[in-house]
Amino acid sequence: MTRRRFAAVVLALAVVPLAAQSPLVDAKPRNEKVKPAVAYLFPEQVTVVAGKATAVDLHFKVADGLHINSHTPKEEELIPTTLVLPESSGVRLAGATFPTGTDYAFAVNPKEKLSVYTGEFTVHAELVAKHGEHLVEATLHYQACNNEQCMPPHSIPVAIDVIAK
Amino acid sequence: MKRNVIVIVVVVFLLVVLGLAGWANRQNRVRLALHQQAQENQAVLVAGNAADSGSANGLHMSSPLVGKRAPNFTLTNLKGEKVSLADYKGKAVQLNFWATWCAPCKIETPWLIELEKQYQPQGFEILGVSFDDLDKDDPKLLAKDKAGIEKTVAQLKIPYPVLLDGDSIAKPYGDSDVYPTSFFVDRSGTIVAASFGLTSKDDLESNIRKALGTGNGTGVGAGK
Repeated sequence: MTRRRFAAVVLALAVVPLAAQSPLVDAKPRNEKVKPAVAYLFPEQVTVVAGKATAVDLHFKVADGLHINSHTPKEEELIPTTLVLPESSGVRLAGATFPTGTDYAFAVNPKEKLSVYTGEFTVHAELVAKHGEHLVEATLHYQACNNEQCMPPHSIPVAIDVIAK
Repeated sequence: MKRNVIVIVVVVFLLVVLGLAGWANRQNRVRLALHQQAQENQAVLVAGNAADSGSANGLHMSSPLVGKRAPNFTLTNLKGEKVSLADYKGKAVQLNFWATWCAPCKIETPWLIELEKQYQPQGFEILGVSFDDLDKDDPKLLAKDKAGIEKTVAQLKIPYPVLLDGDSIAKPYGDSDVYPTSFFVDRSGTIVAASFGLTSKDDLESNIRKALGTGNGTGVGAGK
């Protein structure tokens, strides 16, 4: 066998297992693929005045049959819905006004009311941005339940293209 | 001579690549095996009789762990003591997965307290397993997390042991990711029933009786 042929055989042997592993690389536990309970609807892009607080309404939707705690749940242990902006994004969250929750009670315990969001809800955010265009990935943190069971707390990305002029 | 060196370098490089590929393949096989195991144990939503399941929409979760041996574990209770499922050998045990942020868990807790009191003389015990997040890397935050769980346990007057760090045993128990979840283990260590979400006190009692071997005779290995 010539050196070239030997090298080709070794190369082929190396490539076969590499190629064989590729379909498995994306294998992930099924739970990681579960659709989030809340979806960010819009806006994808906003234009604000640079350096000044500008009101931006962020629209979300809770999946049918589910509810999430409002920003001000009635019990201390319950996890509130919150919005966070990364500090290094060039955009600051000067304030956020969350809607008032609606009362919800589990059928077996109608007297104990929770404060929740269902369906679509809007967060009024006050954004202060430096001059320029910023791709901001804010985070909405929430904890969802249906009428008989709860899911662990979860966060979804809220991606907004902020253009500050 | 120069050509020989090049050939040797190429061959060594290829052998390294071959070795890495083999290692990567092994890692993937391990990962796939774990993934398959997790899927096998994972609870699934199935259509069923609404009256039987206690679910308003006629759907309920079913666990493939029913009929299998309960995976053993060792966790720490609120006093810092190690507690293993194996410590409860010979007892009927309800593993109740819950969290302080879970409102329906708090609704069923008084039922659990009453049922444990009622069936304890027959050899029934409840182990509460908290799925609250623990900041293990930060001692101050960890102490705060534990204090929060302790506070809720005190408020709810839970008399049975509450174990911490349920997340660490989620996988062998099917990663159901819904709370409350309960597994009912008979005296021989076999899971005879599982419930997902808030059901009713009657459903819980029925499952406890299965675990004790005093139910409808449907328990697996009950009464041994």
